[in-house]
Amino acid sequence: MTATATTEYRPPATTAVRDRTTASGRAKARWARIRLPLVVVALIALTVLFAAFAKPRTSGIALAPDNPAPSGARATAEILKRQGVEITYVRTMREALRADAPGNTLLVTSTNDLTDEQVARLAASKSDLVLLGPSFWALEVLAPGLGTDFADGTEVRTAECDDPDASAARTITVSGPEYRTTSPDITLCFPGGSEGTGAYAVIPGARRTVAFADPSLLTNRHLAQEGNAALALRALGHHPHLTWYVPSLADTSTDAGQGLQPGADALPSWLGLVLAQLAVLVVVIAWWRGRRLGRLVTEPLPVTVPASEATRGRGRLYRRARSRGHAAAALRAGAASRMAVRLGLPRSAGATDVIDGVARATQHTTAEVAALVYGPPPSDDASLLRLAGQLDKLESEVRRS
Amino acid sequence: MLITWRAVALTALGVVAVVLVPAGLTVVLWLALVVLLCVVDTLLAASPRAVELSRRVPMSVRLTEHVTSSLAMTNLGRRTLRGTLRDAWQPSAGAVSNRHELEVRAGDGQRVRTVLTPSRRGDRQADLVTIRTRGPMGLAGRQASLAVPGRLRVLPEFASRRHLPSRLARLRELDGRAAVQVRGAGTEFDSLREYVVGDDVRSIDWRATARRSEVVVRTWRPERDRRVFMVLDTSRTSAARVGDAPRLDASIEAALLLAALASHAGDRVELIAFDRRLRARVAGATGPRLMPAMADALAPLEPALIEADWPGIVGAIRERTSQRALVVLLSALEPAAVESGLLPVVAQLTAVHQVVLASVADPELAELRSGRASSADIYDAAAAQRADLEREAIAVRLRQRGVDVVEALPEDLAPRLADAYLALKAAGRL
Repeated sequence: MTATATTEYRPPATTAVRDRTTASGRAKARWARIRLPLVVVALIALTVLFAAFAKPRTSGIALAPDNPAPSGARATAEILKRQGVEITYVRTMREALRADAPGNTLLVTSTNDLTDEQVARLAASKSDLVLLGPSFWALEVLAPGLGTDFADGTEVRTAECDDPDASAARTITVSGPEYRTTSPDITLCFPGGSEGTGAYAVIPGARRTVAFADPSLLTNRHLAQEGNAALALRALGHHPHLTWYVPSLADTSTDAGQGLQPGADALPSWLGLVLAQLAVLVVVIAWWRGRRLGRLVTEPLPVTVPASEATRGRGRLYRRARSRGHAAAALRAGAASRMAVRLGLPRSAGATDVIDGVARATQHTTAEVAALVYGPPPSDDASLLRLAGQLDKLESEVRRS
Repeated sequence: MLITWRAVALTALGVVAVVLVPAGLTVVLWLALVVLLCVVDTLLAASPRAVELSRRVPMSVRLTEHVTSSLAMTNLGRRTLRGTLRDAWQPSAGAVSNRHELEVRAGDGQRVRTVLTPSRRGDRQADLVTIRTRGPMGLAGRQASLAVPGRLRVLPEFASRRHLPSRLARLRELDGRAAVQVRGAGTEFDSLREYVVGDDVRSIDWRATARRSEVVVRTWRPERDRRVFMVLDTSRTSAARVGDAPRLDASIEAALLLAALASHAGDRVELIAFDRRLRARVAGATGPRLMPAMADALAPLEPALIEADWPGIVGAIRERTSQRALVVLLSALEPAAVESGLLPVVAQLTAVHQVVLASVADPELAELRSGRASSADIYDAAAAQRADLEREAIAVRLRQRGVDVVEALPEDLAPRLADAYLALKAAGRL
């Protein structure tokens, strides 16, 4: 007769005959299950798309036409657009040269990131050029005879030249570098303190080239000051098409055709296709591994509370409170009660009976035993540790006797 | 529709094709080829739903033993079914190798067996049976999960049954069958027999001797048909983990051993499991039906994280037994819980019954108490010592009210409780 007696009994089998669902029923159930998540995902996607298209896209690139920050030039671009100038914002030389033709304006916001080939290609272009703070080595190619000089502080200068744009602007703010020239062909406007200097240069030729010494003239921060706006808008608004080129370091392309891709020559031509095939493979692997062989099975488990948890908690409380008195009292009481049992004393035995009994059973005097078992609480952790050791020793002596 | 590793390998082969013929069309065409083959394979695969599944699983198994759950599958479709079957069970049912390969022709059947080695007492449920079929090319297939209910009751281990033979021998010593006669309170008149040298002369029945020609002695035997009423406390104190298992499991072991012993001794055994309401009850089962009934009732018990309702427990005992009985409370000697719960009502029990409180002690406390390595250990030791003293104090108060307290480590509780029962029986205090 044991507990396993019941295993001998074979209960009737439980049976499931042919899943009675139909394909359409299953599809309906699947649709009902997936409907809510689908709606949520669709809503999120719509919100994201709406947010992406509702707001005009902005950037943080200096002098970019879509940057509304103080260092951007969105104000200039917006005003030009309103005046009927069609602006093409580009980041690569290849794109910048795509619309290259006489009767276009090409704005180059900085020449610092251009390669020598790109500068040369720029010099060979046919559009009217507007250069913002060009570096001196670019100037050598693009505007021979024009040099850079340094002026300090911000000042307001007047045009003092016969260029119609400059005289229309009358005054502009200037800070940083300025131009110096000895060539009589070059018109310098907004002169500084010394002879032959200026913040705005016009180089006539087959196409008109204009150079601003101070690019900050176009920025949102400074556009509204003095005649900055007038000069910038007139210089950029000569033609109905403006290509706004903000060069970047990543771009090394030079002409309208196939650009130079970094490292492209070292890689086989089929690499892209293999990568595409590998991407397909990743999706297939995900599909293969993604389907479980049946659902996960759950099981309610009992809570696990160590029985000694409360005792450990009390130990921590003693420790945190440095409650050596309580700790010593507990250890002493425990030792005393065990020794009393060992000596055959009744439960009702008082302290003196225990002290006498222990002293008689061991080699210690009653004073020693009394100090150990009923003495004052220890003053620090070390003496508590010592007390525990002495109590253990006394107990073992009683046990041996 | 699902795909196998073969479909993945086929897609991977596409990389070679793309290297040989580097064109965008190669990628697209290869993908189309893979998709086409997978779709064809899926359409040719047998339906995983056109099957009949029949499960046979034993009603119960004792913990640490294993049973076999068998699933008979009949293919009701028109195609040969090739694939995999997963017979899912709850994790602690211990179904380790529960995936089986299938190859069943139309109308044919196959039986798969899953060995279950449960790791925990209680009821274990079978989950869905999942069948995954493959097409003839093995590229893709179909999958369906079907519900074939199954339940396995995992009975308590009853490891304490190894203590039963020695306790039964002790019981026989108390009995009149043994050579040494025990006479005193708690024994009842059994029979008369002829005097043999060595018998206690005080047991000579002079009246019967006078009627016959030979000297006749009385023999005695321990009282029978006493009542043993066990109360298994399933409240929060039973949830505490001692060693590796909750306190409740050690209490169940003790209850099983006591029930086996008492039923051999001819006593009537009754058990209730109670916290704030009745969780299980065994009553009226005697002889060979007692132990299966006990195991079955105790198997699904789980500790409840609530305080025990001791007045309710006392009420339940009074409701079920009016005669004097041995009431065994399988609970915990937790000072706070006993002080506020059992102590105020225990007098109502001891007035009528013999009461024993059996509690599982924690070996970790003894370990903590002897810790001397660092000052942190000393504080823990002091806390453990204080807990010991408090437990001793509450045990003394219970003893003063007439309750026998048996406190032992989990593996010792069952034999210690059996010994306490034998001592009470020998002393005639039942």
